[in-house]
Amino acid sequence: MYIQEKVGKRNPFRVPEGYFDNLTAQVMQNLPEQPKRRAKSVFMRPIFYAAASVCALLVAGAVWMWQANDAVSSDSIQAQTAVQPQQQDASSEYMDEAVDYMMLDNHEIYAYLAEN
Amino acid sequence: MDKRREFESIVREYSEQLYWQIRRIVLSHDDANDVLQNTFLKAWNGFDNFHGESKVSTWLSRIAINESLDFLRRNKHQGSATSDDLSVANSLLADEYFDGNETEAMLQQAVSQLPDVQRTVFQLRYFEEMKYSDISQLLDTSEGALKASYHIAVKKITEFFKSRD
Repeated sequence: MYIQEKVGKRNPFRVPEGYFDNLTAQVMQNLPEQPKRRAKSVFMRPIFYAAASVCALLVAGAVWMWQANDAVSSDSIQAQTAVQPQQQDASSEYMDEAVDYMMLDNHEIYAYLAEN
Repeated sequence: MDKRREFESIVREYSEQLYWQIRRIVLSHDDANDVLQNTFLKAWNGFDNFHGESKVSTWLSRIAINESLDFLRRNKHQGSATSDDLSVANSLLADEYFDGNETEAMLQQAVSQLPDVQRTVFQLRYFEEMKYSDISQLLDTSEGALKASYHIAVKKITEFFKSRD
């Protein structure tokens, strides 16, 4: 091999005298008493996904209600009186169902956050 | 055994071997010492999560090589980029902890101009004669790709010398 013939494999690097004798002590001196545990990222916690799901649900519900109201306001008053109660019923029914499905209230969410 | 004492015995056993792996990548003694300290700091912080999935030497070498390459990337602006630049060879020849001749300094110059993987594979294979299977575990790269990288590295270094003969 050309490189081996030209240069060889000798280690040309040196270290200060006694460097390896003190190395273990030097390394240990620079370490904290206990390993520093890495804080778990918020994205790794189940509560993050639970909270994100609740937020997404609320936003989706709000958008749906806003769109429903918007559609109604562009219709005639007659149509509005006929349709709106039905939509309001549907919205509140939807929210009731969502809350029942999650079976969560604020106290439970706070308690869960406190545990974690 | 007490965790700290267990780690101390690991430091005692592997520090010299790791130092040389790091030194061949970063070249200067002071930089190698800094990178080695960081390597053990990272290893200590991850010690609770190391459950012997790989050999201790492999686990430590992976950290050491990653730390060395990170160091090079952070200091890239100081490194040489052009083939005419001989700053690495010149600074080695002026370094009190380098007792190589001009040709050996030129080899380090040629190696310093290689991309990260080629550079690391060359150092581990040529100087440490490490098996491709072991290098593959350290760099998370297939043996085939490593063989190709080593082949290209040898070719480039050979061309570097021949262009100056």
